[in-house]
This record gives sequence, structure tokens and C-alpha cells, in this order.
Amino acid sequence: MADMIQILVLGLALGGVYALMGSGLSLVFGVMRIVNLAHPSLVMAGAYIAYWAFRLGGVDPMVTLPVALVILAATGVLLYKLVFEREARSAKYSEMTVLLTFALAMVVEGALGTAFTNTQRVTSPDYATDAFFIGSVFIPKGQLYSGIVSLTIISALALFLKFSAFGNAIRATTQNRDAAELLGVNVNLVGLVSFAIGIGLAGAAGALVSFVFSFFPAKHWEWIAILMSLVVLGGMGSILGTVLAAFILSIVAAYVGFFFGATWSTLTFFVALFVVLLVRPQGLFGEKPELA
Amino acid sequence: MSALLQVSNVVAGYGDGPAILNGASVKVQPGKVHCIIGPNGAGKSTLLKAIVGMLRIREGDVRFKGESVKGLRPDQVLRKGICFVPQERALFPKMTVRENLRMGGYSMRDKVELERRIDEIEARFPILKERRDQHAGTLSGGQQQTLSMARTMILRPEIVMLDEPSLGLAPKIVAEIFDIMRVMTEDGITILLVEQNALMGLKHADWGVVLDLGRTLFEGPGQEILNDPRIQELYLGGRKAA
Repeated sequence: MADMIQILVLGLALGGVYALMGSGLSLVFGVMRIVNLAHPSLVMAGAYIAYWAFRLGGVDPMVTLPVALVILAATGVLLYKLVFEREARSAKYSEMTVLLTFALAMVVEGALGTAFTNTQRVTSPDYATDAFFIGSVFIPKGQLYSGIVSLTIISALALFLKFSAFGNAIRATTQNRDAAELLGVNVNLVGLVSFAIGIGLAGAAGALVSFVFSFFPAKHWEWIAILMSLVVLGGMGSILGTVLAAFILSIVAAYVGFFFGATWSTLTFFVALFVVLLVRPQGLFGEKPELA
Repeated sequence: MSALLQVSNVVAGYGDGPAILNGASVKVQPGKVHCIIGPNGAGKSTLLKAIVGMLRIREGDVRFKGESVKGLRPDQVLRKGICFVPQERALFPKMTVRENLRMGGYSMRDKVELERRIDEIEARFPILKERRDQHAGTLSGGQQQTLSMARTMILRPEIVMLDEPSLGLAPKIVAEIFDIMRVMTEDGITILLVEQNALMGLKHADWGVVLDLGRTLFEGPGQEILNDPRIQELYLGGRKAA
């Protein structure tokens, strides 16, 4: 029994970081219909920012987090202006964005590999290797903190989307782009801001990832599949759905790891991806797909 | 009386495609319900989209109160006082009724005034008040149409253009929708709607405009057009081969 609770706690603790990575991806998809395959590679870039700040300056990744967020958000603005805004007028927009983001992922991976080699890295502030104990259940501090920070950021995002005028415009654009435009929403600006927020969240997640997982430039390939499964289970574009999916799947993955061995735990996400697409393609909170 | 909105010989189409409108003209008189009818593919919806700036007007002009609105973006046309409700009702299904109304006044600076106007709308359409915290996607078709139309009133526009407001609604509900249009005209709003169901549209409209193959064939008071033999010809296939 204690084992079962222990695994639940570990699963929950990891869910937060996945949720943060997934919510940025989900926001960008929701507003711009871009399946951003480069999202995890940008998470990786955030992780390197946190890693080097810690390694060279002894700066805590939690402190670097807002910096990584801003740097990546600025990168997002640049990418949007240089690449995606132009592409939005193309008739083959969706196909193009898949190719573009795939290429972008390769470029980021290559750049990180060239600059920092393919060595495994991990940021190791004191709390990353420490834990709380409640009875016999241990809670790794690093994962707990990263989970709390992730949920705080996601809550802030949710409040912004729900209660601010611009947040409402973002949601409106996600749900009905033409209608939003007819009502005077500058959908291009909404796209730009959402893209910047989404990529900024990747940077923030990267700072947390830097001490939760060991990482190297090519690791993002593993994550894109995991994040896709979260976003699909949550319902493409639904942030609440993505967060729930992140917790559900990371808990299930933790149990799978316990019963069948750690190598199988990643498989949970892929199996979930297939099952969701077969059984409930709209995910938890997505729109029912139109029969076409 | 000078026209509130004057569409003259407009030529327009989608992207680089062929022209759907080939010289459509409409005169809109203030305070009246105008109904554009015509067979499938006549260019009815296209005309509304061209007026509101969703499509580029290739030739001709659109004048609103004497001033050309040709080439303006949809949000600019909206600010001039022309509101458009497209066929799909243009709601945000996962936002509440109240949030949908609030989006209707997105372009307003004065948010206090916006809330006041929303309260006013809720007082006039009790169903919207009752359902204020419900997602718009969970409303019935009639309620959704009511919300779409009520939402246009937030900005107190001069003209509201409706693309097939009766689509998919039961006859009894359709009657209610036309009642709302009457209420809107009493508020000084001029209505320009497109109807597939010509009979019903003309019955409720003050003025009818018949469109075919992207051109205005003729226009006149709704009742007169209803009895015009040319209508029979148009809808029952008397058209001569081109």
C-alpha cells in the first residue's frame, strides 16, 4: 500500500512539468493551428539557459526561470514575425507549419549540440537531490517544487485567459477565428502574443526540466511524442484538458514503470495516443471532429 | 430619401478565383428590413462579405452614409456602424453567454459602459440573462441566433447584416427571429438579410432584392416581389439557357 501511494506521489510530482510543457504547445495549437514540433527543443533551450546560469554563476534555476521565459518569449516573437506570420497567408498553411516546425526543431537541436556538445547535463541545486518524508513516503523536493511552480504559472495563464479582455480575445480566436475578427479582434496580434506566451512557457518549463531530468540536445524527440499524447488526450487546444491529461498519464506511467519496469513507462504515452485517437479522437475537452 | 448604404455595381470573388458578383447593386433605406433573395450560387452571402470587407471588391463601390467603405477591414467597417452576423452564427461555443456578449463590445474602450449595455440587452432578452453563465455551445439553435443578434446591438450599429438567420430553425423559432428584427428596427437599426427561403424572407421584409448570377435582377417592396411572375421563373426553372 505504501508503495502504491509512493508511486502516486511520484507520478503527481512529474505531472506538473509535463502540464507546463503541454500547455504552451496547446495554446499555440489552439490559437494558430500550428502543431509546433519544435516546442520541446525550445524547452531544451530553456534548460540550457538555466544550466549555464547555475554552472557559471551559481544562479538557482528558479531565479533563472523568468529570464528563460522572457528570452524564449522574445525568440517566439522573432520566429512568428520571420516565419509564421508570412506562412499564415499560404493555402498550405498546416502542411507548411509541420515542416517548418520540424525543421526548426532540427536547427535548435543542431545549434545546442554544436554549442554545448551532446553530453548529458543536469542542474543540481541542493533541493534537486533532497526529499521530504511523510511517514515512509518520500517526496523529492526538486519534483515537488517544479510541480508547484508549474501549476502556479498555469493558473496565472488560466486567470489571464478567463478574466482579461485580451485573454478573452485569445480564447475567442481559438474558438472561432472569423467571428473574433468580425468583432474587431486583431487576430494577428492575438497570434503573435499567444505564440510568444507559448514559447515563453517552453522556456520556463526548460528551467524546471533542467533539474528534474538529465538532458541533452536530442532528448526533445522523446518529449514531442509525450507532449503530443498529452495534447491529444486533453483535446487539441484545451489547456485544462492538457493539464488533466498530463497528471493522468504521468501517474499511469509511474504505475506502469513500477509493475513492468521503467523501460515500459514511456510506452504509456504512446499507447494512450493511439487509444485516444481510436476511441475518442476529440480527447477529454476537444470539439467533436466534424464528419467530413 | 438618400440611401443609408449604397452598393453600386460590385464585382468580387474569392481569392484569385472567378468573380461571384458581377455588378451587384443594392440600396438600403434607413430603418427598414431588407431581404436579399436568389437561387443557390446567386452571390447573396458573397455580397454581404464584400460589403463588410471580408472579400476584396474588384470593381464598383460601397458607400455608407455617402462615404466609401470599400477596401476597409472588417473591424473598420464594424467601427463605422455595420455589423455582420455570418451564417454559422459566429458564437464562441466554449465561452459563456455573458462572455459572448462582452466580446460583442470588444472594440469599445469604455468597459463600464459595455457592462451597462450588456445589462440592458439582458433585460430585453430574458433568456440570455437566464443562461448567462452557460456555454454558448449548449444553447438551442434559436437561442444561439438570439444571442448572435442581441450581441450586435451592444455596439448600437446602424446596419445589421444577417446571413440566413433562419437556417436550421423550426418555423415557430424563425418567426421569433423575425420578431427580434422588428425590435431592432424600432431601435433605429436597419436590417439587411440574406434568405434562402425567399417566401419567408419576403413575407417579413419591407424591401426585397432579387439577385441572380451575381447581378441584381430587380427590387421592390417585399409583398410586390412575392407576387412578381419573374420570381416563379427564377425559382421554378424558366431561366433561358445562357
